[in-house]
Amino acid sequence: MRSLTLESASFWYPATEAPALREVSLEVAQGEVVALVGALGAGASTLLLVAADLAPRVTGGRLTGSVARGDRSGIVLPTPWTQASGMAFTVWDEVAFGPANLGWPTHEIARQVDRALEQLELVPLASRDPATLSGGELQRVIIASILAMDPGLVLFDEPAAELDAEAARALWRLIRLQAKEGKAVLLATSALDALPDVADRVVWLEDGAVRAIGTPELLADVAACDAGLGTSVASVWWASGLPGPYPLTVAHALQRWR
Amino acid sequence: MTGGRLHPFTLLAIAGALPALAWILPAPAGGAWTATVALVLTLTPGASPGLTSTGSSPGWRPGLVVLRTAVLTAAPFWLFLLLLHDVPTTIAIGLRITTMVASFVWLVAALQPARLVEAMVAAGWSASVAYLLAATLSAVPVLKARARRIVEAQRCRGLSPGGGIAARLRALRALALPLVLSALHEVDERALALETRGLVPGIRRTPLAPPPDPAVEQAARWALLLACLFALFRRFV
Amino acid sequence: MIPHPPLRLDGVSFAYGTVPALAGLSFSIAPGERAALLGRNGAGKSTVVRLVAGLERPDDGTVWVGDWDTRDCAPERLARRVGSVFQHADQQLFAPTVREDVRFGPRALGVGEQEVKRRSDDALEDLDLTPHAAHHPYDLPPALRKLAALAGALALEPALLVLDEPTIGLDRALCARVTSALLERSAAGVALLVITHDLTFAAETLQRGLVLDRGSLACDGPLAGLLGDATRLEPLGLVPPAVAALSAALDLPGRPVRAADAANVLARVARGRPAP
Repeated sequence: MRSLTLESASFWYPATEAPALREVSLEVAQGEVVALVGALGAGASTLLLVAADLAPRVTGGRLTGSVARGDRSGIVLPTPWTQASGMAFTVWDEVAFGPANLGWPTHEIARQVDRALEQLELVPLASRDPATLSGGELQRVIIASILAMDPGLVLFDEPAAELDAEAARALWRLIRLQAKEGKAVLLATSALDALPDVADRVVWLEDGAVRAIGTPELLADVAACDAGLGTSVASVWWASGLPGPYPLTVAHALQRWR
Repeated sequence: MTGGRLHPFTLLAIAGALPALAWILPAPAGGAWTATVALVLTLTPGASPGLTSTGSSPGWRPGLVVLRTAVLTAAPFWLFLLLLHDVPTTIAIGLRITTMVASFVWLVAALQPARLVEAMVAAGWSASVAYLLAATLSAVPVLKARARRIVEAQRCRGLSPGGGIAARLRALRALALPLVLSALHEVDERALALETRGLVPGIRRTPLAPPPDPAVEQAARWALLLACLFALFRRFV
Repeated sequence: MIPHPPLRLDGVSFAYGTVPALAGLSFSIAPGERAALLGRNGAGKSTVVRLVAGLERPDDGTVWVGDWDTRDCAPERLARRVGSVFQHADQQLFAPTVREDVRFGPRALGVGEQEVKRRSDDALEDLDLTPHAAHHPYDLPPALRKLAALAGALALEPALLVLDEPTIGLDRALCARVTSALLERSAAGVALLVITHDLTFAAETLQRGLVLDRGSLACDGPLAGLLGDATRLEPLGLVPPAVAALSAALDLPGRPVRAADAANVLARVARGRPAP
């Protein structure tokens, strides 16, 4: 079942000549994690906004081509502090803000909030004032808030940016769990080394257009390494001048080496 | 304290009635009475973390901070009036302005935006409208926190808060401009971000913890309104 | 023993009200040394930055910037010796152009106008921002605004640079710019203290690892050795970055942690191996 289908979607921000997205065609199915990679400005954030029905509806601008969504979407922006309601006294209230806005009954809200807090390991922080949280803690609270709204299509824009190593690992596990529970996940990230374990498919965006779509193996291609988008291991192999195909992860490298 | 105990609509009613009465009732007695009430109220803001930033410490300290803010905000007006008017007029108008300032400062400190949203939604208002009003009120602590960060960053770049008038004006520019620019820039982002939290028109928000509205308070609000109308009637008839 | 190192913490303890943040922290950084301040979220790293910048005073112990005790100095005075860049530094930008904003710092220090221009042009050049120097800061994407804020600190030409998460939001290309700018400054004798959770960036840029755990120093030593040692990193909430993990797994001689070094060693070892 397809959660998101884009066909030849092009998007221009208001008063901008150059399109931010050019003829992008992409499908994301339920239970799948698709990662968007590319240089800054390649269009990953814009693509997520289009998928979330925020562009052009809220941002303005012009969209051509077609976008079809099978599910309600939820998006975690790269600036999580802007998504905070600013009016919750506790983390619990903050996470409940979204579900309450959706008009759900209180027992359902409580269930979703408690589940989200557990998934993001926020239970010890549940009665803290969100204004006193660190950047990483707030990012996790916002992720919990979006997941508590139970979207079928979950969109993440650089969700691990402010997280330390342990929290980042927990996040990748959580993302795989979302897919296992049947959600469709589309995520933009520059944490390329994590993708072989997290993503089912990788979409390489360049200047707003899709340059390549494939399994995470594509991050070990010569083309990706040339463009600075190879995993660290693949990039080291590529820089050393050793012949391809390059190993994707440390485990692959160890196999090759023996 | 008042912020925690009273219904948000009651807080709004009081904050509206006091200035109204200050202007309607004959000066200076009327103004003196309402200004006193307003200033006493500033000592009882309650648990709002907004204006006081002293955390959750109980007792009079948060109240004293709010009182000080009210007094400091009203002081320039008194100075200005003294330059323009004679003493009796200054006192008459000054007391009225003090009432307005103190009532507003108390309201911002006592009114918890989350409770206001809950109260408005329970009364049938749309969540988006309620949120807009509440967000305006809660903008103050957010901007204060950001202003503090900007002051720190600029001081670490060598900005000295002292010096002559010209230096202070330049310093003000380095502090005010980034605050305004970053806040304005963020308005767009915030509007986008709030859409992501489900604030869509047409859906009835579930009240999570609607503040209780005892009959006594509802009666008191009507009584305040009647008192203002009565005073108005008495004044002009 | 350097008479007055650019930074020395001597038994520093600090608490936010009743919440302890740092306990008996002691270390010093020499000119040209590049230190990473690592640790979990909440371990106390940002507190160290605030103490060094003079925004807080230690409850116990002393923070020495050169021969100045931070207790006796306002942050604007410490700006002569310390360039600090906090998180969300892009919110401090306000001038009509990036160039003017970068000039703000040296001007505030009271340096002559010629010198102001030289320092800011050099800082912009080091970060490859010269093509954007005439733009309004808010016309730039957030990543470039972050670099502009960093340029502002470089333009102060301080003896010590203290940076709090300078690479959040930057892609690899921009991270590389930051790395090269910092390496250049360090070669000129500037001491660096960088908080980062990006261990790949730390491996490329920094040489010494200071790891905080619940307010005290759990580790203080060469970064290269630390990054390749998963057993030491794990209890501290850290994970070896990919290149270090690769070196350890393949047992590369010298256990390089920087990508270029690993590539060279890999090539050398591969050439020396018998064909499979």
